[in-house]
Amino acid sequence: MEFIIKKKSILLVGIAAIALLIAGSFIPYFYSANNLLNIIRQSSVVAICAVGVTMVIIVLGIDLSVGGIISFSAMVCGTLMKSGTNIFICILAGAAVGLAFGLFNGVMVAKLGVPPFITTLVVGQVAAGLALVLSNGGSIGGFPESYVFLGNGSFLGMPVSNYIMFVFVALGSLFMAKTKMGNRIYALGGNEMVVKQEGINTKKIKIIVYGISGLCAACGGILLSAQLDTVHPIQGEPYLLDTNAACVIGGVSLMGGEGKIYLAFVGAMVIGLVRNALNMLGMHPFYQNVIIGAIIIIVVAVSVWNKNKNIKESKTF
Amino acid sequence: MNETILKMQGITKFIFDSEGIALKNTNVKILENINFDLRRGEVHVLVGENGAGKSTLMKILGGIIPPDEGEIIIDGAPAVFKSAKESKAAGIGFIHQELNLCQNIDIAHNMFLGNEIVKNGVLNMKEMYKRSRELLMSVGFDVNPKTIVRNLSTAQQQLIEIAKAISCNSSIFIMDEPTASLSQNEINILFKLIKEMKSKGISIIYISHRFEELLQIGDRITVLRDGKNSGNMNVSEFNYDELVNMMVGRTLGKMHVCTHVPQETEILRVENLKISKRTLPLSITVKKGEIVGLGGLVGSGRTELAQSIYGARQFPSGDIFYMGSKIRKPSPRSSVQKGIAYLSEDRKLDGLVMEMDICKNVTLTYLDRFFKKKIIFKSRETGIAQKQIDDLHIMCRSMYQLVNTLSGGNQQKVVLAKWISEMPVLLILDEPTRGIDINAKAEIYRLMDKLASQGVAILMISSEMPELIGMSDRIYVMCAGSISDEINKSEGFTQERILQGTLK
Amino acid sequence: MSVSTKTINRTSSVNQFFRRFVKNNGAIVIFVIIFGFALLFVKNFASAQNMLIIIKQSAVPVIACIGMTMVLMTGGIDLSFGYNIGFTSIVAGLLIKTMGAPVWLGILAALTAGAAIGLGNGILVDKVNVPAFITTLGTGYIVLGAAQIVSKGNTINKLPKNFLAVGQTPVGVFNTTILIAIAVAVIFYIILQRSTYGRALSAFGYNKRASFVSGVATSKIHISVYVISGFMAAMTGILLTIRVNCAQPDLGGGDYTFQIITAAIIGGASLFGGKGTIVGSVFGVLIIKVIENCINLAGVQYFLFQAVLGIVILFAIVFESIKNKKL
Repeated sequence: MEFIIKKKSILLVGIAAIALLIAGSFIPYFYSANNLLNIIRQSSVVAICAVGVTMVIIVLGIDLSVGGIISFSAMVCGTLMKSGTNIFICILAGAAVGLAFGLFNGVMVAKLGVPPFITTLVVGQVAAGLALVLSNGGSIGGFPESYVFLGNGSFLGMPVSNYIMFVFVALGSLFMAKTKMGNRIYALGGNEMVVKQEGINTKKIKIIVYGISGLCAACGGILLSAQLDTVHPIQGEPYLLDTNAACVIGGVSLMGGEGKIYLAFVGAMVIGLVRNALNMLGMHPFYQNVIIGAIIIIVVAVSVWNKNKNIKESKTF
Repeated sequence: MNETILKMQGITKFIFDSEGIALKNTNVKILENINFDLRRGEVHVLVGENGAGKSTLMKILGGIIPPDEGEIIIDGAPAVFKSAKESKAAGIGFIHQELNLCQNIDIAHNMFLGNEIVKNGVLNMKEMYKRSRELLMSVGFDVNPKTIVRNLSTAQQQLIEIAKAISCNSSIFIMDEPTASLSQNEINILFKLIKEMKSKGISIIYISHRFEELLQIGDRITVLRDGKNSGNMNVSEFNYDELVNMMVGRTLGKMHVCTHVPQETEILRVENLKISKRTLPLSITVKKGEIVGLGGLVGSGRTELAQSIYGARQFPSGDIFYMGSKIRKPSPRSSVQKGIAYLSEDRKLDGLVMEMDICKNVTLTYLDRFFKKKIIFKSRETGIAQKQIDDLHIMCRSMYQLVNTLSGGNQQKVVLAKWISEMPVLLILDEPTRGIDINAKAEIYRLMDKLASQGVAILMISSEMPELIGMSDRIYVMCAGSISDEINKSEGFTQERILQGTLK
Repeated sequence: MSVSTKTINRTSSVNQFFRRFVKNNGAIVIFVIIFGFALLFVKNFASAQNMLIIIKQSAVPVIACIGMTMVLMTGGIDLSFGYNIGFTSIVAGLLIKTMGAPVWLGILAALTAGAAIGLGNGILVDKVNVPAFITTLGTGYIVLGAAQIVSKGNTINKLPKNFLAVGQTPVGVFNTTILIAIAVAVIFYIILQRSTYGRALSAFGYNKRASFVSGVATSKIHISVYVISGFMAAMTGILLTIRVNCAQPDLGGGDYTFQIITAAIIGGASLFGGKGTIVGSVFGVLIIKVIENCINLAGVQYFLFQAVLGIVILFAIVFESIKNKKL
């Protein structure tokens, strides 16, 4: 049992493979290129959000504001687009909003010491509330074609969404693996004291990490609105659960210090796959949530239990 | 080998709070006028009992806390460190007892944390791995730098820390009990490395208790006792008796009262208990009305033993008999219900609830016993608290004062009050007078004697020689997780014999 | 010399008293300020009828807030609260209306269901050590799904009169719901302030380790607060169902949870564990309901209220954190 859990990536790929096989045997046309690419497209929003949330969890935090930021950033972007602003500027504005919320989270956690789950929970609610205010309770839609193309168009046979998602995942993974900051983020999650002793400003790192998470959530929200050609003020709500589930399934440990973005990406695909299959089998999203909720608890419980066992064995006495 | 590269002169440090700021009004000095010097290429061993001041002195050198008086001179120039980083930059490499590496990343990433090698904005992994490998080989450690640190042993991680310090061009190393968790083989490897470092002109301050080691590896010895310089010795002129005398030779004060007489009934019997899988089994007993002292170095397992008996900690094997019957599942709650009390080592951590007042803290443990009907009656509660405040002479403005505003001595009294507000049968005390002024100490000793004469069985962990010798009827000495010696008062307690037991 | 010292002493002790009062009863102070503001600036606020509305609307949230406050006192959180409400609503509705069971049985079953969910939360948090926010987030979704499954997505209307009477029977100018809320508040006030359990809970919230070593039954306390929270969620579910005369699986929900958490925090429940009072919970709820009332009277959109609420709690958190740092 321990050995399997150690090799998380193998376990994950195993789950994904089994899930694929099971789904394929029940559902016609499941293996069609069309359907698979579509699954990836539908999972892309979660995958993008997961890039940021993974980093936050690594530094022993959590980001529950993902849902709210998705809604509000998309709403800002959409509102500006409806008033005729250049698409590029709209997207930039939406992303900036997400970044701002994220940085705010970071400052609260790092400088004021507020527990991350409270901070991000509240900030998420504020963002969701602001989305409602901005849209006056209604939705907006009917965006310019070039915008909708980002969410629904194809390029060389693959949905544009997928390209965008891959860019995020690739950038995120490279950032964590190959930059100074990436190393320090992992180190912070492993042993904050050591990092501080090297004279590194750990508060700054935390603030940046939360900022990135907000930025990713915003980009995810913008992509979502492009996919749906709509922004509804509570659009982002369901993504909180799925993003965290993707990270948890992807082996990102809530104990901090562990986690690979490309694995969170696989986790997002698994979630997308599971939802897609269950949808096709006729299961209502609510019931799907039960399963996903249960999965999160089980995975976390197992990883916590495992970690506690290891701690008990490694102390000197 | 004769050139002095480091001088610490007149170092004085008053007792300090959690921020490192001196509590000058209590006038308790942890270090007083310490002088210490280090020559190039030597291994200078720093020796002394628990609380002698070795760690504090090194923490000052390492930039972790500032000295209140005195100066540090490196290579002829005065040095002031405001942080660990500044000390490192001055060429001081501190190898702590607790490992200072991030367990979740690999060796190379640890070694270059803060100093990552970058090419075109991106980590130059190839170069980092290459240089790590070179550094590791230079300390004789043949290992793949891509290994995740968590998968390495303590000894191996220590070598990595040494390699890392060398890469920062450290010319002065502080090694704090480096062999504490090493096997003999690993110790040999370390010593070989130390000799090589010496030949390259690196100087090492080596803190240890193990006499055989300091004979093997040391050049000079400096002894600290009670925060003061107690003597120096060249290893070439080593004299065991003289060294022991420098460490413990002091006149014992007369503040310890002893009017109680131990009875014959056994209250506690511990049989073949192992505090961890790797230690030897131990057995102790405590009789009614007896004060049993538990001596030993910090890290010898005394607190672990106490917590195992009390139920605050799990242990792999052994039996605990209390009042004749075996304790099946020890837990703090069941222990309290049976009449076992445990005053822990760190009152801020698990002795007091800092945010509550004196009254609430005092009544916390036996709350259910005081108020059997589950409702707290204020008058009864204040009565209980006031009695304790009076009996123990707790200095406070009112019993509703928050305990975090009290002095250390008074805080300790509140903790004690909590445990004796109902007379326990077995009282376990873990460093009961640590960090307290003389008057409070004397009062606590008087109290202990009174309790013992009323039949309370007391197990007292103490790192203070005079306290151990003055208060105990019997002394167990612990070393590396098991009992190394048992001394009866009738045999005569001597500091030398106790010290020997701690060093086995 | 002595005269001026006396004056200084008197002023400083009044000062000290004032400061301590604000520190320990911040919620009352904020309430008075907001209430005063409303009296002065909001049309139609100052009427007996309006006061009654506020009281009626605050009754059930007070019960809910007490449960959440106790969980917050242990440094945890119950994100499943709102979904628990919907689930227990359906349980009660199904038994009483659909299956025709006696009212007391339906209520008992709903209360037990709520407490059982709380027990599950408590065990996962205390024994398995899963962080509270993940546990309750997960169980929340599970309970939400379960409510949907059991109800088949339908609501249950036109509940029996004797069931509705439990909450809607008028008592003078109030009704039984308000009486129940008052009773709960009084009972829990006694429990928290005067019982050994309340003292142990407070100590546990401030310092888990010290409480454990001091012999406090920490596991029991830790699990019990989640059970209580689940029980309160069930009470909330039953009373809300009675109020709207409809058992629905999405009664309460995530928004409700958040409102209750907001009320608890404004009421002074510490984010870091330890502090929490019944008085604070009551006034926290009152503050929120007064704000809501003002927004309704002023004709402002409801979702503005949600945004305002969010900003209010943000201030509360920042304020609390700064206070904590200074400690």
